[in-house]
Amino acid sequence: MPSASGHVWQFRRGWIAAALVPALALVSAACGAAAPQSQAGSGGSTGSGKLVVWDWHSGDATTKDYYAKAKSDFQAKHPGVQVEFVAQPYDQYYTLLGTAIQAAKGPDISMFNGGAQMRERATALLPLDDKLGDLKDRLVGWDAFRKDKTTYAVPVTLQGFPFYYNKAVYKKAGLDPNKPPATVTELQTDCAAIKKSGNACFNLGNKEGLGIEFFLSGFGPGVFSPAQYDDWLAGKRDWKSPEVKQIFELWKKTNDDGWYNKGVNSTAMFNDQFTMFSGGKGGNVIGLISDTAHWKSFDEFLGPDLGVYKAPISDPANVKSTFLPAEGGIGYGVMKWTKDPALAMDLVKSLASTDAEKLFFEKAGAIAADKTIDTKAVDVPAAGEIVSWLPDSKPLLHTALSAKTLDLMHRLSQQLISGDVTVDQVLTQLAASDK
Amino acid sequence: MRERGFTRWIVAVPMCLLALATIYPMLFTLNVAMKSRREYVLNQFSLADHLTAANVADAWSSSGLGRYTLNSIVVTAGAVALLLLLGSMAGYAFSQVTFRGRKWLFLVCLGALMIPFQVIMVPFFRVLGQVHLLDTYPGLILAYTGQFLPFTIFLMTSFYSRIPAEVVEAARVDGSTTLGVYRRIMLPLGRPALLSVGILNALFCWNDVLISLLVMQSEQHRTLMVGVTALRGQYSDNIPLFAGGVLVAAVPVIAIYLFFQRQITDGVTAGSTKG
Repeated sequence: MPSASGHVWQFRRGWIAAALVPALALVSAACGAAAPQSQAGSGGSTGSGKLVVWDWHSGDATTKDYYAKAKSDFQAKHPGVQVEFVAQPYDQYYTLLGTAIQAAKGPDISMFNGGAQMRERATALLPLDDKLGDLKDRLVGWDAFRKDKTTYAVPVTLQGFPFYYNKAVYKKAGLDPNKPPATVTELQTDCAAIKKSGNACFNLGNKEGLGIEFFLSGFGPGVFSPAQYDDWLAGKRDWKSPEVKQIFELWKKTNDDGWYNKGVNSTAMFNDQFTMFSGGKGGNVIGLISDTAHWKSFDEFLGPDLGVYKAPISDPANVKSTFLPAEGGIGYGVMKWTKDPALAMDLVKSLASTDAEKLFFEKAGAIAADKTIDTKAVDVPAAGEIVSWLPDSKPLLHTALSAKTLDLMHRLSQQLISGDVTVDQVLTQLAASDK
Repeated sequence: MRERGFTRWIVAVPMCLLALATIYPMLFTLNVAMKSRREYVLNQFSLADHLTAANVADAWSSSGLGRYTLNSIVVTAGAVALLLLLGSMAGYAFSQVTFRGRKWLFLVCLGALMIPFQVIMVPFFRVLGQVHLLDTYPGLILAYTGQFLPFTIFLMTSFYSRIPAEVVEAARVDGSTTLGVYRRIMLPLGRPALLSVGILNALFCWNDVLISLLVMQSEQHRTLMVGVTALRGQYSDNIPLFAGGVLVAAVPVIAIYLFFQRQITDGVTAGSTKG
């Protein structure tokens, strides 16, 4: 028979055990919390403290050297300041950044895609025009990081949409591998031959609806007259014009003619579409010149079979020559709440320094925004051609649109492919959205 | 007899197909994790040339998944312990203790179950920042506790509702206080439900990305699922490495499912029947 004191002890022991589990967990957690904390936005005005940078690239093996160089360059000038690069998952990046902006608490510097993604968040960024110094002349691609003629971010890479092609696939189809199509008519002839030889003419992944962005900006220079192109970028967009209609009709027709791999609306662009092209399962692809799906990533698999060409001309009477659509790709903006804007701007300058950008180009394959970088050392012909086209380039058509119109265009492009809407219905909806 | 066999087949075939649809992605991930990047690009669906754990090892060593795993263990253990303590107490109160506004308060808890986290994300982030709990373990533990407590309370209340009131009354007659009844009667009797709820909450916390991503802003405090998600850059094209990271993150979850299948099923169905 247990004694009363034994009961009391059992009672206490039970309670101690019950309380100990969460208490221990919290104590261990608190120990962790007591460790030095990374406080975003803690750059001190004295040139000491910490700067936090959010991006989606610093975790990549290919960009390690670029970030190390930028960091060492900055810390040589500011030895007392810590720099922390936080690589965020890209698919959550703008949600996370949006929350930080709403709460006015987050990183000192953020990476942005040029165009709509940056412009939508310009109110949370510091205007940089009076802080750029020599960057202004050394870098190109500023338009993508401006809103209402004010600069909010510094371009680090350029983004463009060249047409890459696989010479081996052309050869197999009985075509001249060194003569890519110069007109849409030639492209249609080539596609028929490639399809006959058992390959997809183009690789496409439209699961997220991104395909139409590439299609519009990719084919645009060969369809729009120069004046019409400039008007579009300036905000004077006529969605009912024959040229715009032609692009959307071509989008529908190319799918109906069997240009693409099967099930494009259920194929992810990144990375399935580009993996198909790298794996030799398509003749052409509208790719990028920065981040991925570019000359370097394709060259790894296709080697000398990789070719590149500019947008084919649709109507030679209307368009005499074509160009590479390109603009600022990714860049860095300084958040409004940073405690020391000058210090943050110094870090942005280090991130955009020639030495750092050179590493970005050589190791990661991104075409840098720094025009002083010598790209001749790269022995990939496609890269040389792309770089030679840059001086004549004009910004992309799709990034001139708002995020809302782009989202609508994504959805409508999928419905066009599946035959649920007509081209006229699509253009009516887009015109209404783009006001 | 033959009819019973036929009926069994009618049920078994769809179930087998469902099992296949569940198992195939796991096998596909395992196969991809065994491939080199080149092998994957040239043919995503072919079998791996040879068995290798190189991608798993790379994901573990070069991406700091070890540190992230430790973080996940700390916050998951802390949050689950707190959830079980608070959830069982509230469940006992809602099911066995009579007080004014009990039903309304319980409805408020149920209502909290229906609010998606995305809706409260900004105020939540702001409040956590104001009390200096951003980027701390207690911050994430409390965030998980707040997020999953309504579910825990609902399940524990459902379970304790099935315990006859006479048991509590008998303990009261013997001189037990409210806390005494909770400790001597409710906790021991609630062990199966606590186990089920604990496992489910552990899975919720372990698999979470969004809350952890918001709260833990520095890399050293990152949890495993966020770390794995971050293995993908904007358009990272090293899918085999990513698959290796996914395997690292999935192994504990699969192990928990295998060991505690029955408890998980019991937990999911708790409260679905009465009596």
